[in-house]
Amino acid sequence: MTTRRSPRTANSRYRRYLRRALTTALSIALTLLGLAALTFLIGRLLPLDPVVAILGDGASEEAYQAMFEKLGLDQPLYIQFFRYLRDLANLDLGNSLTTGRPVLEEIARVFPATIELATVAIVFGAGLGTPLGVVSAMYRNSIVDNVVRVTSLLGYSAPHFWLGLMGLSIFYAMLNWVDGPGRIDVTYEFLLPENGTGFLLIDTALAGDWAAFGNVVSHIFLPAVILGFGAMAYISRMTRSFMIEQLSQEYITTARAKGLSRVRTVWFHAFRNVGVQVVTVIALSYAFLLEGAVLTETVFAWPCFGRFLTNSLLAGDMSSVVGCTLIVGIIFISLNLICDLLYLVLDPRTR
Amino acid sequence: MKKILTLMSVIGAVSSFAGLSVSASAATPADTLVMAWNIDSITTFDPAQVNEVVTNEILLNLCDTLVDYDPEDESKIIPRFAESWDVSDDRRTLTFHLRKGAKFPSGNPVTAEDAAWSLQRIVKLKLANALSLSEFGFVPETIDQTIKATDENTLVLKLDKPYPSTLILQAIGAYRTSGVLDRKTVLENEVAGDMGNKYLTTHTECVGPYRLARWNAGEAVLLEANQNYWGSAPKLKRVLIRHVAETGTQRLLVAQGDVDVARDLTPQDMADLEKSGKVELSIVPTPQMLYWNINNRDAPLSNDKVRLAFRYLVDYDGLAKTVMHLIGSPRASLVQLGAVGALDLKEGQPFKLDLDKAKALLAEAGYENGFSTTLAIGSHPYSAAIAQSLQQNASKVGISIKIESMANAQLFSRVRSREYETVLQPWLANVPDAYGMVSRFIVNPDNRSEAKLGNLPSWRSSYYSPEMNKRAEDALFEPDDQKRIEMYHSIQRDQLQNGPHAFLFQLNAVSGLNAVLKNWTQNGLRAYYDKASK
Repeated sequence: MTTRRSPRTANSRYRRYLRRALTTALSIALTLLGLAALTFLIGRLLPLDPVVAILGDGASEEAYQAMFEKLGLDQPLYIQFFRYLRDLANLDLGNSLTTGRPVLEEIARVFPATIELATVAIVFGAGLGTPLGVVSAMYRNSIVDNVVRVTSLLGYSAPHFWLGLMGLSIFYAMLNWVDGPGRIDVTYEFLLPENGTGFLLIDTALAGDWAAFGNVVSHIFLPAVILGFGAMAYISRMTRSFMIEQLSQEYITTARAKGLSRVRTVWFHAFRNVGVQVVTVIALSYAFLLEGAVLTETVFAWPCFGRFLTNSLLAGDMSSVVGCTLIVGIIFISLNLICDLLYLVLDPRTR
Repeated sequence: MKKILTLMSVIGAVSSFAGLSVSASAATPADTLVMAWNIDSITTFDPAQVNEVVTNEILLNLCDTLVDYDPEDESKIIPRFAESWDVSDDRRTLTFHLRKGAKFPSGNPVTAEDAAWSLQRIVKLKLANALSLSEFGFVPETIDQTIKATDENTLVLKLDKPYPSTLILQAIGAYRTSGVLDRKTVLENEVAGDMGNKYLTTHTECVGPYRLARWNAGEAVLLEANQNYWGSAPKLKRVLIRHVAETGTQRLLVAQGDVDVARDLTPQDMADLEKSGKVELSIVPTPQMLYWNINNRDAPLSNDKVRLAFRYLVDYDGLAKTVMHLIGSPRASLVQLGAVGALDLKEGQPFKLDLDKAKALLAEAGYENGFSTTLAIGSHPYSAAIAQSLQQNASKVGISIKIESMANAQLFSRVRSREYETVLQPWLANVPDAYGMVSRFIVNPDNRSEAKLGNLPSWRSSYYSPEMNKRAEDALFEPDDQKRIEMYHSIQRDQLQNGPHAFLFQLNAVSGLNAVLKNWTQNGLRAYYDKASK
């Protein structure tokens, strides 16, 4: 027998979805607007002079004034902000004050390198961190648990900057196992297509140039492992504490009493219940890797988003800083949205 | 458990395989010069605007200046794009005879009209480098008459006053603004009357051994040999400058042979590299002076004796052996060694750390109980260590120094607007002639706040002496070269005792060179990429 939904129920369901979608869209728009306003204001209040950033220390007063007016800095703050919003509505983040090129173009240039590194790092971090956290919880206070906890503590507390330099000195300079700083060797760099995707792993694989692909892997391996190590530490610690809580629940005892194997109980019952929380932790770690791995990027000479943002800030290039902040906001919002969608899959109660 | 362990071992095996399977290859291409350098500061390639060390050097390798310094001897001027030049008897007309038959990378012929337009453009745009011409009387109102082409290959400069001709050759002829631009191509890319300013941010259209192929900000600069170059072709066809901000990383790259040259090395890096024996060091003094910038506006810093006491608070020898080892030499005279009219090594550095002398000077000035002041520093790697050393010595004579650390952009803003007490910063002299430093640090035509001469260090520090203004002008227009040098010597001697600032070190340019690289040619002003070979 088939059941038919009444049109009324379907209608109210769509309406509910629509309302949900509209609320989400509105909250995203408000968050971004707030973010833009806040960053814009901070940029104007900071004692950094964008004109000096462009013209340099030795420019004459005449040149200074001309550039001051050209940038619209002689206008009241609210007019500057409305102009900025107007451009933003046209997807124009303005020009970088220091390079003169559109901010969006600059970000688009550094972003593939960031995503590539962060993704490999998170695959490593989550791929190892999650099972380690589970195993650690299963064998709480055993040797395995202690080893995992100490390793996590290291990953958590050792500065990545130092780990990076140590990693380079040992695996690159001494043992010669991996390639050094940068994304690819100079020899291959010239052979890359100018208008590729910017993801070197993809570009080299698509071109079928496996020697170049191997070179990219060899370059990305060390920074990804070091970044992933930090993520792994966080993910395994959090997974462990989520799991410990679940394993003390009565349904676990019931499952075991019913004769279910330990592994089955842990993975198919307890772990399923912490899925939502683990996904959140992984998403947060990923977001952090996308925007905040500046020191590792510096050591490995990786042309990344975090460094672009930091350099722009130090140079007083506020158009780039505001643009980057918006992008970071969008990353966090998108990852939150993806998490929300995953919750629907992982936890039927949220549907 | 078994399954988990299996899974973990698979992950482990995959991870280690990825690392082990690809062995590192450490060699740069035979036809390419590869450098590691912090190139964050590049913001444009427009000669009207380029104003810092990194882009200056790259631009000089891309665009031939009219004349050049002899790479072996900076005090000599040799022909570059101008084959020869004449100076009129009254020293007011300078005529350059340009090379015939040269072509731009675009294929357009190079004419004296292009050369005149390129210089006029610098003045008309009024950007950072306009001062390099306007200080010699070239102003927008008359520039079309004062700089012009008289035929296909002759460029004439008419000066408003009889400046020393060697100075003009250095300050205009050999300066980065004298590169001849491809007027036709640049104007085709003009936006809203900007004379190609936006286009030249990312392009170079001039005559030189290389042309700019690519610039990815904060990532890399790629230069390729210019096929239409009039001179001999560079030995290495390409130059790749990789942005590497971390000096330790640069050290590893050059030692491994993944780059040929590392351009930013700390004393520690250099000591390690020297020991390894794989990398040779190139160290040359530059016209860049590190100085303790003192605002002379208010007491007690307006007192000559107090500022003289400051010079005795500097541990020149101690710093030279540690934080400045190989990267700078003590020098208290404001004029850099190597410049025409500079005091010699010994006379230019008469000070040493002497706390008793400093204390006596403070007592003479009426500050035996000391006072408090601030010292702002930017992000130069040596700044913090030097500032702490100064702070420590000052505290021993009763001066309490508060160190304020900030981004360079913020530091520049404060100095330009005179809102500082003391600052530690470097200054790059624009010419190897005493005039370069004296005209910026001593001469102050108008000390009023509303004059807003933010580009002049003298105005910034409120140093104003009509007598010194006069002496500087007399030295500039003295026709007898020997007499002129004497006059600059006397100004420096006076400044060592009563000058506005405490000059500390003359900075060196250091490069770590991998053994594969041959014929690396570098003087204090630049490196010559076209002379390098492998």
